[in-house]
Amino acid sequence: MGEFFFNIDHGYLEGLIRGFKSGLLTTTDYANLVQCETLEDLKLHVQSTDYGNFLANEPGNITVQVIDERLKEKLVTEFTHLRNNSLEPLSTFLDYITYSYMIDNIILLITGTLHQRPINELISKCHPLGSFEQMEAIHIANTPAELYNAVLVDTPLAPYFVDCINEQDLDEMNVEIIRNTLYKAYIEDFYKFCEKLGGKTAEVMCEILAFEADRRAIIITINSFDTELAKDDRQKLYPTCGKLYPEGLNGLARADDYDQVKQVCEYYAEYKALFEGSGVNPGEKTLEDKFFEYEVKLNVQAYLHQFHFGVFYAFIKLKEQEMRNIIWIAECIAQRHRSKIENYIPIV
Amino acid sequence: MCLTQLFLQNEAAYACVAELGELGLVQFRDLNPDVSAFQRKYVKEVRRCDEMERKLRFLEKEIKKDSIPMLDTYENPEAPQPREMFDLEATFEKLENELREVNQNEEMLKKNFAELTELKHILRKTQQFFEENEGERQALDSLAMEDAPSHHDGTKLIAEREGQPKPHLKFVAGVIQRERLPAFERLLWRACRGNVFLRQSEITEPLTDASTGAPVNKAVFIIFFQGDQLKTRVKKICEGFRATLYPCPDTPQERREMSIGVMTRIEDLKTVLGQTQDHRHRVLVAAAKNVRMWMTKVRKIKAIYHVLNFFNLDVTQKCLIAECWCPVTELDRIQLALKRGSEESGSTVPSILNRMDTSEAPPTYNKSNKFTQGFQNIVDSYGIAAYREINPAPYTMITFPFLFAIMFGDLGHGTIMLLAGLFLVLQEKRLEAARIKDEIFQMFFTGRYMIFLMGCFSVYTGFIYNDAFSKSFNLFGSSWGNIFPFPLDEKAREQAITNLGGLEASPMLIPEKAYSGEPYPIGVDPIWVLAEANKLNFLNSMKMKAAILVGIAQMTFGIILGYHNFKYFNSKLDILYTFIPQIIFLSCIFIYLCLQVIMKWIAYDAAGGYSVLGYFYPSSNCAPSLLIGLINMFMMKSRDDGFVDGNKYCNTSIPPGKPGGCNMVGLCHLNNWYPGQSFFETIFLLTAIACVPVMLFAKPYILWKEEKQRQLSGHTQLVQV
Repeated sequence: MGEFFFNIDHGYLEGLIRGFKSGLLTTTDYANLVQCETLEDLKLHVQSTDYGNFLANEPGNITVQVIDERLKEKLVTEFTHLRNNSLEPLSTFLDYITYSYMIDNIILLITGTLHQRPINELISKCHPLGSFEQMEAIHIANTPAELYNAVLVDTPLAPYFVDCINEQDLDEMNVEIIRNTLYKAYIEDFYKFCEKLGGKTAEVMCEILAFEADRRAIIITINSFDTELAKDDRQKLYPTCGKLYPEGLNGLARADDYDQVKQVCEYYAEYKALFEGSGVNPGEKTLEDKFFEYEVKLNVQAYLHQFHFGVFYAFIKLKEQEMRNIIWIAECIAQRHRSKIENYIPIV
Repeated sequence: MCLTQLFLQNEAAYACVAELGELGLVQFRDLNPDVSAFQRKYVKEVRRCDEMERKLRFLEKEIKKDSIPMLDTYENPEAPQPREMFDLEATFEKLENELREVNQNEEMLKKNFAELTELKHILRKTQQFFEENEGERQALDSLAMEDAPSHHDGTKLIAEREGQPKPHLKFVAGVIQRERLPAFERLLWRACRGNVFLRQSEITEPLTDASTGAPVNKAVFIIFFQGDQLKTRVKKICEGFRATLYPCPDTPQERREMSIGVMTRIEDLKTVLGQTQDHRHRVLVAAAKNVRMWMTKVRKIKAIYHVLNFFNLDVTQKCLIAECWCPVTELDRIQLALKRGSEESGSTVPSILNRMDTSEAPPTYNKSNKFTQGFQNIVDSYGIAAYREINPAPYTMITFPFLFAIMFGDLGHGTIMLLAGLFLVLQEKRLEAARIKDEIFQMFFTGRYMIFLMGCFSVYTGFIYNDAFSKSFNLFGSSWGNIFPFPLDEKAREQAITNLGGLEASPMLIPEKAYSGEPYPIGVDPIWVLAEANKLNFLNSMKMKAAILVGIAQMTFGIILGYHNFKYFNSKLDILYTFIPQIIFLSCIFIYLCLQVIMKWIAYDAAGGYSVLGYFYPSSNCAPSLLIGLINMFMMKSRDDGFVDGNKYCNTSIPPGKPGGCNMVGLCHLNNWYPGQSFFETIFLLTAIACVPVMLFAKPYILWKEEKQRQLSGHTQLVQV
């Protein structure tokens, strides 16, 4: 029913986002980009795409960092335009998208302060989509409780943080636990929000978020081998809105090595294919890349439906992937490391 | 148009392309479409131009920032020689570096200046804080000595907890952006558990941001706290909120001294800053004189190299091969330009222009001048005619303004429009030189000849409609006279009116009596302005009919133009299945309607009382109705001969006035106006309907069938082989 009135509130933005999406680089663009000899070539070619002359006013030789900054700037401009023109519930939905960047920024700042890095240097590394007012004051906190009471309590992340207040210190391990706890709470909350929205949005977004949850669970498990993280602590970090819940997560909780993880995922058709196609040998794609490819596929599929918010989420994710690709290619060119230049994730 | 091949010597290519570019008569084809942008031959030069453009844009931005007028000489500099590029590059490089250096200095000075101003504000405001607090604090201290519980502020609480009689409070003072203040205060309170005391005061005048130059609103704050732990924490928070802290002495004397010191430093800085700005201004003013011309030059170089990138190298690597479309009539001029280009570059071998045969459809080239350009633009916005199709623009020059005028039709407003158009046309050169960037004005300016013509025709139609600012002229004397006796004394007039049939019954000029018999010589009779009841009825109907006639004529004309196109391209298919059904459709419905309009105008006059086409026509209010006729035609309604009087039919054979006959006073119209009308109209309608599917489907279907046939025969040929 909501579809009938979708265009009244969100028609303009959906049209816009579909236009943005069609501006994503195509396979021919990538084929041209990987042929570039220098970053100047890259700049010249990118000029002929939707990016236009976003690098035209850069003096001197451009660096990968400059490209990265400009790319982010462009994404942020587009996102801000969407956010400013959106109406409820789309505006809340768009806010939800920024929360994940906020979590990343918080963790980045905390780890940075742990390593005694100056705050200004850290701030410049933060993703601009996830910046918030109190962000720069994070380094006053020494314990999670302090972090919550002083800084995070005013941010929308506050309810997610309640679970990790009990941690004693901010050491590297705990930071990682905080990150995953926050993410778990965030994904579950986002999932619930999408379910509440219902309709096509729920259909599309739940699929994407379920995959995101499962990916996190699998990655957490694989990364936790040979660390001091206890198995039941590990289980607490798994987001419970994925397809692996509950049997698969139980299996993962018991897993001791990579093969056992693989065994657990054998029972799920989508993930089985991902595990089978991956490997660490040269010429094979890593599991991470496989996950990225699957994510891209899900996001592209979001565009097959109309009248739902999934396209907005999908666009941000696709754009992020595209930025990773451009940066990857740019890095390969800058470091003269051409053998791996083809390892970008094509968006088709 | 013809496709030509150019053989240009390597060294002459640049000059030749520059000459051709100034000429603007050729369209180059991209001969390396598969080569990506950065793999082309002259990519280096294009890139250098990009860099120069960037520097120029930077210059322009700086010039605009200082709002220095940019001199535009409107001259068109020739494309500079390639070797000039180095000079240009060096000039721009020097300018840019100089400017950057100046900017850096200025920014630093400004930063210093901003800091000092902030410090000045801090000293001034804190002075106030201390002064107003001094008395209060003393009172509080004495209260604390007496051990009276009090919850007034933070300082007091600390004092109690520490249990010291005279608390030694420390403070930091700083400046923060005003919009960040609430969050700052909240976080401060939370992080320090309420153990700090913050006073703040807004700086009323906006300060300028050193790096962007934008005005920012800031506020001074002073935080009182106790102990070193709190101090580091407070400092961290200040850092987090990008608040700048300034040293602020404890005693009033020191503060005053510092204040004086700051003031003198601010004065010094102002002089230095002024000098720096003067220098910057001088540099920019010098640059502003040339920046437009430089931009044109750089763009020309870039365009030339861009075109050169389209070219092929021949096998010997000695010359470039280009392909371009050019109008056949202009070949001589192009040859001449090439010759000039070769001579300029001092090349010994002349450039060769070679006509090629091609089966490709050439691009359309419509020659236009300043008069036709506006019309051509309008036509092109609907779609550009294919090569060798008739260009409708020349006809549009008359039809477009005329159709406009039929709708506009007012002599007074038309004159205003005419004058406005005339002004634009006469002041053409000056306005062009003024280069007004405003989009709306540009729109009017490019359409100036159109506005002028629209004005002319509006004056004409306004004259025909006899309408100037909705008033009429009685130039030749109306052909309608007053039938009502006036002035007479009341009684006699009443009597006269009763004789005429009563003013209330028909407050109108009865044609039989009031019309002189001679029509008004030209245009609409001015008497119509006085007709309050049916002025609009008459004028609208008249204008509508005229508009239909002209409109349908225009449509028919368009279809006939299409016919000439089809004939020229020898396309039997189009003539049979596009042109013929179109013209049949149009004539069956609309041209038929037009004929009716003309017929009605000619055959029915005001007096009546005679037969037209065998049907009796009693008087002017019983003429056939076109609208109802058209509706009946589409509804295929069967109609009896005779009149419709009000809502009922009445027979013509019975004379008016008798029972069953018509009285024909109110609205009445002739049902049929020629014998067999229903029959003909049904046939017209059915033919028109039959044309619709032919227009829609016939051509695609036949093309599809032919294609299939071709495929089939292709296969059979293969089988035979």
